[in-house]
Amino acid sequence: MPRYDAMGDDAFDASPAHHTFGPPVIAGIRERAELGRYPIRGWGARRAVPDFDDLLLLTASASRYPLEGYRERCDTRTVLGGRRAGRPVVLDIPITIAGMSFGSLSANAKEALGRAASLVGTSTTTGDGGMTPEERSASRTLVYQCLPSRYGFNPVDLRAADAVEIVLGQGAKPGGGGMLLGQKVGARVAGMRTLPEGVDQRSASRHPDWTGPDDLKIKIEEIREATDWQVPVYVKIGATRVDHDVRLAVAAGADVVVVDGMQGGTGATQDAFIEHTGIPTLAAVRLAADALADLDLTGDVGLIISGGIRTGADVAKALALGADAVSLGVAPLIALGCNAPTYRLPAAGEAHADVGAGSEVDVRAEYTALGTAPGHCTHCHTGRCPVGVTTQDDALAARLDPALGARRVANYLRALAMETTMLARACGKSDVHRLEPEDLVALTVEAAAMARVPLAGTDWIPGR
Amino acid sequence: MCGIAGLHLLDPALRERLGSMVTGMLRGVAERGPDSAGVAIHDTGGLRVRKEVGDPLAFADRIDLAGQAGSRALAHTRMATESAVTAAHCHPFVAGTAPAADASLARPGALPLGGTQLCLVHNGSFANHATIRRRLAAAGVMTETDNDSEVAACYLATRLGAGDDLATALRRLTATFDGFFTLAVTTADSFAVVRDPIGAKPAIIAETDQWVAVVSEYRALLGLPGLADARVYEPEPEEVYLWAS
Repeated sequence: MPRYDAMGDDAFDASPAHHTFGPPVIAGIRERAELGRYPIRGWGARRAVPDFDDLLLLTASASRYPLEGYRERCDTRTVLGGRRAGRPVVLDIPITIAGMSFGSLSANAKEALGRAASLVGTSTTTGDGGMTPEERSASRTLVYQCLPSRYGFNPVDLRAADAVEIVLGQGAKPGGGGMLLGQKVGARVAGMRTLPEGVDQRSASRHPDWTGPDDLKIKIEEIREATDWQVPVYVKIGATRVDHDVRLAVAAGADVVVVDGMQGGTGATQDAFIEHTGIPTLAAVRLAADALADLDLTGDVGLIISGGIRTGADVAKALALGADAVSLGVAPLIALGCNAPTYRLPAAGEAHADVGAGSEVDVRAEYTALGTAPGHCTHCHTGRCPVGVTTQDDALAARLDPALGARRVANYLRALAMETTMLARACGKSDVHRLEPEDLVALTVEAAAMARVPLAGTDWIPGR
Repeated sequence: MCGIAGLHLLDPALRERLGSMVTGMLRGVAERGPDSAGVAIHDTGGLRVRKEVGDPLAFADRIDLAGQAGSRALAHTRMATESAVTAAHCHPFVAGTAPAADASLARPGALPLGGTQLCLVHNGSFANHATIRRRLAAAGVMTETDNDSEVAACYLATRLGAGDDLATALRRLTATFDGFFTLAVTTADSFAVVRDPIGAKPAIIAETDQWVAVVSEYRALLGLPGLADARVYEPEPEEVYLWAS
């Protein structure tokens, strides 16, 4: 809030973050005035909302005992969709890679994510625009998205999938459709989507053949029949009316519900959507877990949480609040090289660059040309990604070596799993899935109310 | 943190001496649990359970533990970890459905559990009992206190009600509960001991042809008749030791 300064000539504290018409607001108004349209960008909500950093774990001390790292068991195995599917998804770690489209990402990036997921025994997910052969062959466990647009969706790839995820919405833009600007609709992307090249593509915001859970039930049965009841069917929702939506997804027959909070990323969406719709992941996870518990389906219907997961601490807290697994989008892209000031060229004579080998090429000038800088870039929508992650330009895409990218992402996911088991062991758990809400306290009243755990140092849960 | 002592008689001739034997065992673990104490005695007339706050030795005197006869007994001295020091929070915890003649001894206010009645004493603490308590509640099994050990008693009773034998139920418990524990459990005809997968909390078993005893500390065995010839050993982690009469 602006603060009145009774002593100064400047009547108000002009801190940009708090000024009603601060410099960012002025710039935004000028942009709209000049272009006659809304700002578009990548990534998820950047405003400060209550999140997992507002929770703390009550690890063991005298009343409970920690488990030793490295020699005392702490399982991370995760089974999803065991309720109905003949072949449930079995993962080595409860940390998965979220759906991101070929189109939004380069083919190399998609391949790298698939390889990384396979290296650590987890799943990755397709996206709008369909499944690429590189992604399929690189991924041990591949979740095939069924989106409103149905771009690239076909029965052949459907039967090649290890799970199917029907996407109702995503956290960055619940209720909104996808967006892929013309500069990223190259020949291959256009071909897969049967669209003209170079034209802005708007994906549908709702499915063409069903609305509502009654008809979704029919759609899920259709997919089950097409896949011979072998693979789990996920339903992904952007977090808004989470309690209702989780119950309806279950009623429609979902094996797994994926709930994406407002911090969840996107390749390109209107800024107004990203910052002003949906609810924080922290609130969403508890609502979803409580809905499943109320239906007595905890553990039977899987719960995957996404939207702003960055660290093993985030993972541990999400699991404690009731998630069976988490899903990451933006963070693995950063592990690939997103927002790095350089990309790595393979050393001479080397087929692929190794971590720490080859030479670094400085691309800071390219970030500057985009009007941004390493560490601040959300220009995925432009297709001019200086590190080859979110581009369809062949020269830019070649900057990302899939093998090197895969090793970096696998390292990152392994580190997250280690952090998660470290914290679970400290809570005395022999399985990360045994973390529970009673292991948590909140630092703020807001987080306590959303997560329904006590404010630290009290036994007070707001609203209880 | 607590002390446990359990005694299972194989020789009916010792029936009148059960109370005095258990009193000596309780004395040996009293310092481990100065907050409160409890005993459960199985006798031909059924199950007698007494639990009180305060010094365990004074408690034993007050209830004339030494004068009590029976076929098997569990005793517990408590140093509370996370739940309150009240008689209701004391061990042994009784769960399950009592044999018809002993229906009055079933836990007051508890929903029918459908299993056989059992008594449980616990040294250690569980790390995931809140989740298991919620699962039991969802199935209609309500605990009376916020004590972690009570959750284990209710869990075992529920498993017995579902058709598990006691050994199977205990193995399932070790796979389901996190934390460190030595548990001694009695039913109308059985006596069992199990420890956590690490074997973190102490336990000593002594066996003769006349009796089987489990205690937290060796000194609690010292007054037992025939101890010199007993087979004395430390139970292995996660292994279920069970004697049926």
